[in-house]
Amino acid sequence: MAETVKSVISRNMWKDNQVLRQILGICSSLAVTNLMTNSLVMGIGLTFTTALSSLTLSAMRNLIPHRIRMIVQTLIIAAYVILVDIFLKAYVPDISKQLGPYVGLIITNCIIMGRAEAFAQKNPPFLSFLDGLFAGLGYTTVLLIISFIRELLGFGTLFGFNVNFIGFETWTIMVMPPAAFFIIGTLIWISSNLLAKSGKKKG
Amino acid sequence: MKSGYIYTIVFMFIVSAVFTFFLAGANEFLLPKIQENERLAERKSLLYVFNIDQNGTADEVFARFDANIKPATSGGIDLYTQVDAAGNVLGYAVPFSGAGLWGTIRGYLGVSADLQSVLGIVFTSQNETPGLGGRIEEPAYREQYRNLAIVAGQPLAYGEAGGGKLDAITGATQTSNAVLKILNTLLSETVSKLEVMPGG
Repeated sequence: MAETVKSVISRNMWKDNQVLRQILGICSSLAVTNLMTNSLVMGIGLTFTTALSSLTLSAMRNLIPHRIRMIVQTLIIAAYVILVDIFLKAYVPDISKQLGPYVGLIITNCIIMGRAEAFAQKNPPFLSFLDGLFAGLGYTTVLLIISFIRELLGFGTLFGFNVNFIGFETWTIMVMPPAAFFIIGTLIWISSNLLAKSGKKKG
Repeated sequence: MKSGYIYTIVFMFIVSAVFTFFLAGANEFLLPKIQENERLAERKSLLYVFNIDQNGTADEVFARFDANIKPATSGGIDLYTQVDAAGNVLGYAVPFSGAGLWGTIRGYLGVSADLQSVLGIVFTSQNETPGLGGRIEEPAYREQYRNLAIVAGQPLAYGEAGGGKLDAITGATQTSNAVLKILNTLLSETVSKLEVMPGG
């Protein structure tokens, strides 16, 4: 099945969204989504890593010996993650401090290796780059939706700005990981329903 | 050929070497900036402890730091002292570290030169739950320590506001208690042993 640019985008953003449809990257979706700023930086970090590691691995795909391909994938992913970590420390030290160990943990995010295994090893570099890029953007979008709900109800702020104009009591549960668990569950349920409906229409 | 042992080994060597080189280069290039950020953050923390303005450009912060704060050793520990223009010691910033709920909590506690009151507190590193225990870093919590009286035989405690009692963080009892435990240990075991410097 040949993929086009359009199918890569729609697949990653919606039909096979990494978080909602493939249930990957859940750990960080639970951990960093109580503030929108953190979610955004995490999303950018992951998008950057996934896109570039897919590009690199795809460019090298005919050279990598099959039996050590996973070691090579891990090495390249780790290299990009360390690069992200160094850049955050140098240019946005405050956010780097807030994200703490989570940046290093991008390495263990299943999305990156999933894309490398499922796509980059069989497809040309440009398509693989796009696949990684949009897989990351799909992930970022879901993170932002979750953190929008959590930050709004948990802190009464959005991106750190106070929007709690009516002065409602903020919910402590929204700040803690279980809240993300419920929200992700609800989002998965909604997206599955919508996809099932659109599938029926097409026959 | 591609599945041969030699090819595999050589390939792995080359890939590792290239990426290590690439990362080492980026690290080398950005290291001065990272260290500068860390030094600036530390300086700002210490200025905060002594309630000195910590805003402004990096150069202003460094200049203000050098004018007001000097490293020193007292009672066998390395700490920072706040000195006035004449060289009189106005207070101490004593480093502390101890177990929080998830990891080590580090920071500085500022005490006045006569060891009778807390000047301020700052947490320089902690891994508490963001939004709960992590709120010890927020002004609402740390500002409570400003000018708090140190009474011998009466450790810091949480309770109703006023009367030297502090407010704990709702939903973060473990972290709140861990902080008090660290501070009370510090006050009884380290601060009380500081040698009060002449002119203080």
